Amino acid sequence: MNRRMFLLGAAGAAACGKTKPRLNVYNWSDYVAPDTIPNFQRESGLRIRYGTYESAPEMLAKVMTGNSGWDVVFPAAEIVPPMIEMGLLQKLDHSRLPHLNVFEGIFRNPPWDPKLEYTIPYMDGATGILYRRGIAPEPEAWADLWDARLRGKITMLDDPPEVFAACLKRLGDSINSGVPDQLRGAARLAMAQKPLLRAYLNAEVRDQVIAGDVWAAQAWAVTAGQAIAAAPDRLAYSLPREGFARYCDTVAILRESRRGDEAHRFIDYLLRPEVGASIAQATQTATPNAAAQRLLPAAMRENPVLYPGEEVLARGEWFAAQTAASQKLRDRLWTEIKSA
Amino acid sequence: MLVTLAIPSTIVCLYSLLTRGAYGGVERPWTLENFKLLGDPLYLMIFFRSLWIAAAATALCIGLAFPLVLFIARSRRKNLCLSLVILPFWTSFLIRIYAWMFLLRDTGLINTVLRGAGLIHDPLPLLYNDGAVLLGLVYGFLPFAVLPLYATVERLDPALLEAAADLGAKPLDALFRVTIPLCAPGIRAAAILTFVPCLGTYLTSDLLGGSKTILIGNVIQNQFTAARDWPFGAALSVVLMMLALVLMFAARRHGEELV
Repeated sequence: MNRRMFLLGAAGAAACGKTKPRLNVYNWSDYVAPDTIPNFQRESGLRIRYGTYESAPEMLAKVMTGNSGWDVVFPAAEIVPPMIEMGLLQKLDHSRLPHLNVFEGIFRNPPWDPKLEYTIPYMDGATGILYRRGIAPEPEAWADLWDARLRGKITMLDDPPEVFAACLKRLGDSINSGVPDQLRGAARLAMAQKPLLRAYLNAEVRDQVIAGDVWAAQAWAVTAGQAIAAAPDRLAYSLPREGFARYCDTVAILRESRRGDEAHRFIDYLLRPEVGASIAQATQTATPNAAAQRLLPAAMRENPVLYPGEEVLARGEWFAAQTAASQKLRDRLWTEIKSA
Repeated sequence: MLVTLAIPSTIVCLYSLLTRGAYGGVERPWTLENFKLLGDPLYLMIFFRSLWIAAAATALCIGLAFPLVLFIARSRRKNLCLSLVILPFWTSFLIRIYAWMFLLRDTGLINTVLRGAGLIHDPLPLLYNDGAVLLGLVYGFLPFAVLPLYATVERLDPALLEAAADLGAKPLDALFRVTIPLCAPGIRAAAILTFVPCLGTYLTSDLLGGSKTILIGNVIQNQFTAARDWPFGAALSVVLMMLALVLMFAARRHGEELV
C-alpha cells in the first residue's frame, strides 16, 4: 500500500531451465512496463528472477542480511546514504553504462549520491494535493487541508514521513527536521486536523477521489496523475506553496551480488531512452531520464502533475534519512496522532 | 512443532531484549529498555482499546454463531451449511475486506441503493470508523466461532432436551439451563479462537478503519516497517503472546473445574 500501488504480486518468475545465467531483480510492485523484463530476457539471453516489495523497510530488512539472493534493487533516495554507509551497495562501473548520459540537471548530481557512484535515478515525483475542482477555496496550500468546510472529505497519506512533511512545511520547517520542538508542533497540527479527516489512505485514495467520496487528498504525483487521467475535467493537482516533499527511487547493485556484469547490462538497458519512456508510460510516473522524457507523447511530457517545471520544483525538498533518535520520536508522535 | 513454533517465538523473545539498529535489525547490548515503554500510558491505552475491540468482536461472533449453529444442527443439509460457512476461506481475507469497502463506501452499493430508494439524502458514514472495524472482525472471524461451537452442539444428545421438556422446562429455559451449559467447552474454544486473532489484527483497522484508530497489531507492524524498531516491536509481541497464553490457560483451568 504505497505509491506504486499494491498487491500486484510477482511478475512471472520465468520458467526453470538452469542453463541460462540468472539475474535476480527486486523491485517495487507495479514499477516496470509489462514488456520490460521479457524484452530484456529475449535480447540478453539472461533469465530474470523478478520479485517485488511493498515498502522500503521490507526490502531493507531482507538485503541487510547480506545474503538476500538479490542482485539489483530499487532503493528510495532517502535510504541510499544509509545503504552506502552499511556497505550494502556495489560501486557502479560507469564504463559499463554507456547510456549514463541521459540525465540532466539535479539528477546528474543528486544530493543522496552526488556522483552517481552507487545508484542511478529511476523514477521520481512529488507529494501534493489532489482535489476536486470547484471546491472553495481550491487547495493551493497545505493549510487548506485544515479547512473545516471540508470535514469528512479530506484524506492524508498513511505514511509518517509524508504527514510530518506536510505539517512541518505548514510551520515553515524542513520536511526532514529532527528538532523535537518542531516535530511536536507538527504532531499537534496533525492531531488538530484528524477530526476533519475521512481516513489516512495511500494509493487506494485514487478511486475514492474519482468516485467523489474524497474531495481533497494529500497524494503522490503518480496517484494524482492516474486519477486525473480518469476524470480530467473534474480533478486537479497542486503542489502547495509552503513547499512539499520530493521523492526519487533509484536502481543499484547489491554488494553481495556476484553478477555485476549482468546487473550492469540490465541497468544500462533500463537507461535506454525508449525503455525508460515505455516504463514511464506504463506506470504513469515521472522519469528523471531526460532522453526518455523527450520520447514521451506531448500530453504526457507536458503534464504538470508529473513534470511541474523547475520553478515549482524549487519549492520541493528531498526526503533524507532520519537519525535513530529522531526516528524514535517521530514514531512515538505518530502513535500519539493515531491514538488521538 | 519445534521448528515452526518454538524457534520463531524464541527469536522474538531474544530480539525484545536487544537494542535497535539504526536502520532496522537488532544490535547489542542486551537491555530491558523495550519493556519499560510498556509502562507508558500511550501504549497501555492502545492495549486496552485492542482488548476492548477484540472482546466486543468475540462476544458478537459467539452471539451470532450460537443461533446459527443451532439452526445448522437441526437442518437437513448440515454439510451444505457447513460448506457455506467455510466458503469465504476460498478467497483471500484481503480481497473480502476490499469487497466490504466497496459495499460501505459513500458511493458504495448500500449508500447508492438507500439514496436511490429515497430513504436517505446524504450518504451514511459506514466506512472508516470503529463500527466498520468491528464489522470486519466479526465477519472475518465468525467461522472460527461457528466450527468449534458446531462440534459441541452436534454431540449434544437430543434426549436431554426432551427430558428437560418432559420435566416442564420451556424451550428458552432449556436453552439457558441445558444447551448453553453443556456447550460451555465449545463456547470457550470459540471465544479463544476469535479473541486471540482479533487482538493481533492490523489489516482490518487499516482498511476498514481508514488507519484512524491504532490497535496493538498496527503498532507492532509499524515497529517492523516505518519505525524500524524491531526490539520494541518484539517486546510488544511478547506481551501480546503472554496475554494470549494467560487467557488460554485461564480458560482451560476454568474448564477443568467445570467438567
